Amino acid sequence: MINDMCDSACAPEGPTGMDLWQLLLTLAVAGSGSAFSGSEDSSEKPKFTKCRSPELETFSCHWTDGVRHGLKNAGSVQLFYIRRSTQEWTQEWKECPDYVSAGENSCYFNSSYTSIWIPYCIKLTSNGGTVDQKCFSVEEIVQPDPPIGLNWTLLNISLTGIHADIQVRWEPPPNADVQKGWIVLKYELQYKEVNESQWKMMDPVLSTSVPVYSLRLDKEYEVRVRSRQRNSEKYGEFSEVLYVTLPQMSPFACEEDFQFPWFLIIIFGIFGLTMILFLFIFSKQQRIKMLILPPVPVPKIKGIDPDLLKEGKLEEVNTILAIHDNYKPEFYNDDSWVEFIELDIDDLDEKTEGSDTDRLLSNDHEKSLNILGAKDDDSGRTSCYEPDILETDFNASDVCDGTSEVAQPQRLKGEVDLLCLDQKNQNNSPSTDTTPTTQQPSIILAKENKPRPLLISGTESTQQAAHTQLSNPSSLANIDFYAQVSDITPAGSVVLSPGQKNKAGISPCDMPPEVASLCQANFIMDNAYFCEADAKKCITVAPHVEAESRVEPSFNQEDIYITTESLTTTAGQSGTTERAVSSEMPVPDYTSIHIIQSPRGLVLNATALPLPDKEFLSSCGYVSTDQLNKIMP
Amino acid sequence: SDNTAGSLLLLLLLVSDLLLCQSVASLPICPSGAVNCQVSLRDLFDRAVILSHYIHNLSSEMFNEFDKRYAQGRGFITKAINSCHTSSLSTPEDKEQAQQIHHEDLLNLILRVLRSWNDPLYHLVTEVRGMQEAPDAILSRAIEIEEQNRRLLEGMEKIVGQVHPGIRENEVYSVWSGLPSLQMADEDTRLFAFYNLLHCLRRDSHKIDNYLKLLKCRIVYDSNC
Repeated sequence: MINDMCDSACAPEGPTGMDLWQLLLTLAVAGSGSAFSGSEDSSEKPKFTKCRSPELETFSCHWTDGVRHGLKNAGSVQLFYIRRSTQEWTQEWKECPDYVSAGENSCYFNSSYTSIWIPYCIKLTSNGGTVDQKCFSVEEIVQPDPPIGLNWTLLNISLTGIHADIQVRWEPPPNADVQKGWIVLKYELQYKEVNESQWKMMDPVLSTSVPVYSLRLDKEYEVRVRSRQRNSEKYGEFSEVLYVTLPQMSPFACEEDFQFPWFLIIIFGIFGLTMILFLFIFSKQQRIKMLILPPVPVPKIKGIDPDLLKEGKLEEVNTILAIHDNYKPEFYNDDSWVEFIELDIDDLDEKTEGSDTDRLLSNDHEKSLNILGAKDDDSGRTSCYEPDILETDFNASDVCDGTSEVAQPQRLKGEVDLLCLDQKNQNNSPSTDTTPTTQQPSIILAKENKPRPLLISGTESTQQAAHTQLSNPSSLANIDFYAQVSDITPAGSVVLSPGQKNKAGISPCDMPPEVASLCQANFIMDNAYFCEADAKKCITVAPHVEAESRVEPSFNQEDIYITTESLTTTAGQSGTTERAVSSEMPVPDYTSIHIIQSPRGLVLNATALPLPDKEFLSSCGYVSTDQLNKIMP
Repeated sequence: SDNTAGSLLLLLLLVSDLLLCQSVASLPICPSGAVNCQVSLRDLFDRAVILSHYIHNLSSEMFNEFDKRYAQGRGFITKAINSCHTSSLSTPEDKEQAQQIHHEDLLNLILRVLRSWNDPLYHLVTEVRGMQEAPDAILSRAIEIEEQNRRLLEGMEKIVGQVHPGIRENEVYSVWSGLPSLQMADEDTRLFAFYNLLHCLRRDSHKIDNYLKLLKCRIVYDSNC
């Protein structure tokens, strides 16, 4: 039987060489334009559109006719085919067996002409000339017919009464022999609502029924199915559309699906949060501003007024910086005897008096440093007089105790000077009187009978000191104005010996005329400190006064640092007297103790040592440590 | 991962084989038409059809994968003129022929085709492994097909033993001589050889699947599928 079967398919005659060559040539041509690709003159030449086998038993090929109607003729266009069987090609091209059954411009191959798994080649000829050619195997061109007999059944209705599931069934295309398994089909179902435009697709299935879930009861649906051969990709045509009309929703069904308005909730949530955020921001504007944009610290050096820097008072700035330059904690430890001599730098009252001793020895004017307005909370420093340690509690510190005790009796002495200065000031600078008052109304000392320089400090202690000093005018007479420093204790306390009275007899009040001339020259010389005397000179000079007044407003603002002018003024008043005394009447056993601006400043015995004026730079009675070292071996 | 997957699969198959063998080996081979056989022909055919269906799916996918990956733009369109080594086996070319052929003959043909593919499948696996950037999709499928083909062959031999007990024909099969072309140095030639082989495999697995389904309908259901 196999041999019989083979007879029709196996062509024992071998092809001739020429035929084989021709075949290869045509096949090469076919290969180059393999899949139904259009040629240049697509409109003129007939060409194949498609070849299709619906059930793997027959196939048909279709072509387009050329637009040249004149040439259109049933016989003019011909189709020839050739197929290879058992490794041999049949010799000749055979013509199409059926031009009719598949329609116009088609060729139908019935089952006797169809061989599966055998390569075919077909060619289209027009007036003898080949116009198109293609090769294929029948199992590759399978495109099944559409399924038939679609119907649906209701599976169930959801509890809400809104949705339902249905089962759709159909029959395979009648010509496909799926029953015997000759062809295996896969089906794809598509459905949509009647008024929609997009079809929903389901996954391909091998069975002929498929459930469709979750259809709405109040809507009508359309369903259609198409099939393809398993392992192929080409689908056949769609079946007829099946209309699914679901039963109406029962009146007891739930109402319309409540679709949670997520969108609205999100919008409102964001809006609300934004409002809250804004409220928060506006209420805490300041704080948030601080958080986001922390204030850049204004460049500041302790004890220096920024306005001073702005106004470009270089001289004062240099002085102040110089002061601060030497003013470092580590200096404290260098020389033991440089250790702090704690002075009670009292208020301006005392300075104006010129009672260094008082200052040195008195202990209840520890707050006099406040005159300068600078504050310092560095409790480690023992120096009593530093521009920015004004808050140091001298009462508590041991260093000061010694001095304060000794200086106590001297306190009253200062009042003489105070009174003197009072006189002087009135003579010299009426402007200074007025300006501090107006600009520092908070200062208690802003009274006519008090020396103006005192007012420059804004601290109350100063005022108190002034008060106390003023209150004891009588005691002044018994106290030496100057005291000699006989020794300095290791702790830094200064031991004073009672000194002679001021032999000068010249009240410090007589100084003013000399002051002016020396001011500019010497004021900035001493980089470690400046003399009260020098400062005082400067005060009397008009320009300084003005500067002073200008500075005061700023001084008022900041209590923790002092202006050069304030220093000047505070130091100035008290310095004059000493200067006068020291220059004219060097008394062997006294030293003038001035406000020490830096830890290195010291009080020296003016008479014992030669006083090279130039070396000391200023007429002050104190020298820096360096100078001291030069003098003393 | 291929190796582990392959070995796991082998293990699975082995286990299922053992289970199958347990049910089969201990039972006498059922003569045709006997009703007392434990392992019915129906089950054998069911399993055979499942296997052939599976092999055809795998080979289709493998061919598509190869086509997509290697054959694009290479002009392997001349697939129509390729010749498969099993073409010499005169198998039925359409449904009528397949229905007319005697089922024993058809079974033998199937066996011959299956045997013819033992060698090519073995070498296919080896050569695909050696391909540059050996694609996992193709390699895994090749390994799987080789395995399943062997199993199908065994199943078919059992079926033949049931349908035609006693008749053991000589083991006839087509010799495959395509190995040299698979190992060609020239890449184009080599790739075309692969393409050809995979195309033939797809075709032959389709043939066997169809034949077996027809046979199942004829033998098991007596043409009343």
